[in-house]
Amino acid sequence: MQDAHSSQDWRAWFARNGARLRLIARQWTRSEADADDVLQEAFVRFWKHQRHLPGNPNALVVTSIRRSAFDLLRRSDRRALREKIAGDDLETVTWFEPEADPRRAALADSLKLLPAEQREVVVLKVWGDLTFDEIGEQLSISPNTAASRWRYAMEALRRNITARTHD
Amino acid sequence: MTDPDHDLEQALRALRPAAPGPAVTARLAAELDAPAARRGVVIAWSAGFAAAAAALVAAFVFLADAGEPEAPAYQLVHAERSRPEVQLFRPVELADGSYARPVRVRWEDTTRWEDARTQTRLIDYRPNDQLGFLSLETH
Repeated sequence: MQDAHSSQDWRAWFARNGARLRLIARQWTRSEADADDVLQEAFVRFWKHQRHLPGNPNALVVTSIRRSAFDLLRRSDRRALREKIAGDDLETVTWFEPEADPRRAALADSLKLLPAEQREVVVLKVWGDLTFDEIGEQLSISPNTAASRWRYAMEALRRNITARTHD
Repeated sequence: MTDPDHDLEQALRALRPAAPGPAVTARLAAELDAPAARRGVVIAWSAGFAAAAAALVAAFVFLADAGEPEAPAYQLVHAERSRPEVQLFRPVELADGSYARPVRVRWEDTTRWEDARTQTRLIDYRPNDQLGFLSLETH
């Protein structure tokens, strides 16, 4: 995502990064439609006002997404806990493209079953390309806490995949 | 020391997040492409005003010269327009029931004239703040 500083073509940039940004937005929104709204608002703000700023563009765009997501929650008077928000429609969401490989499909399903606080760390690290320090800043937690949540998530994912594979 | 989570992390990275639908791209185009066109209109419009202002000043100088030969004869030496700052707001419903997105454009014009003979200069600094509406089509 480093080329955001110099890129002039938002369409090309969004085509490369839109999917993972939407997955990040999905972590803090109640529905697919909300995620699209948040992604639109955050991306417009990032592209017009923030992409030329110094620093890691990943962190900037994630900050923009998180801010838009919580603005939307406030506007909608949805003050539910984040864990509840992210877990509301787990059965119906389509976070990933369909996978033919059963292990990959099991991994995608297992990710959705993680506790929200672990899942957002995984999503920010893998698809946000953030370090534990940057994740800590985003979530207002220490880097050590972010790293602990990551380890717990990895253990849980491994357990789930193994259990599903043996079923 | 090897990272025991490396393979699992690689497997996660191999998953492909679902791409945003074309509707999202269309909405982004409405926000990110439209301001550029609007900006062009504003700049062209503003350039006309700046040219008219320059002509007025030139006429003033010319007329002043006719009556007072010793008056300064200004020459345009510098004209600068800052990069416009475009701010889009949330769509609003107008009185006729249609929808539009308010847009605010701000920029500064600085024009400088100098008279080499009298070593005097005339500077025109003009902050501009325009508020308009971009019509939105609803289906």
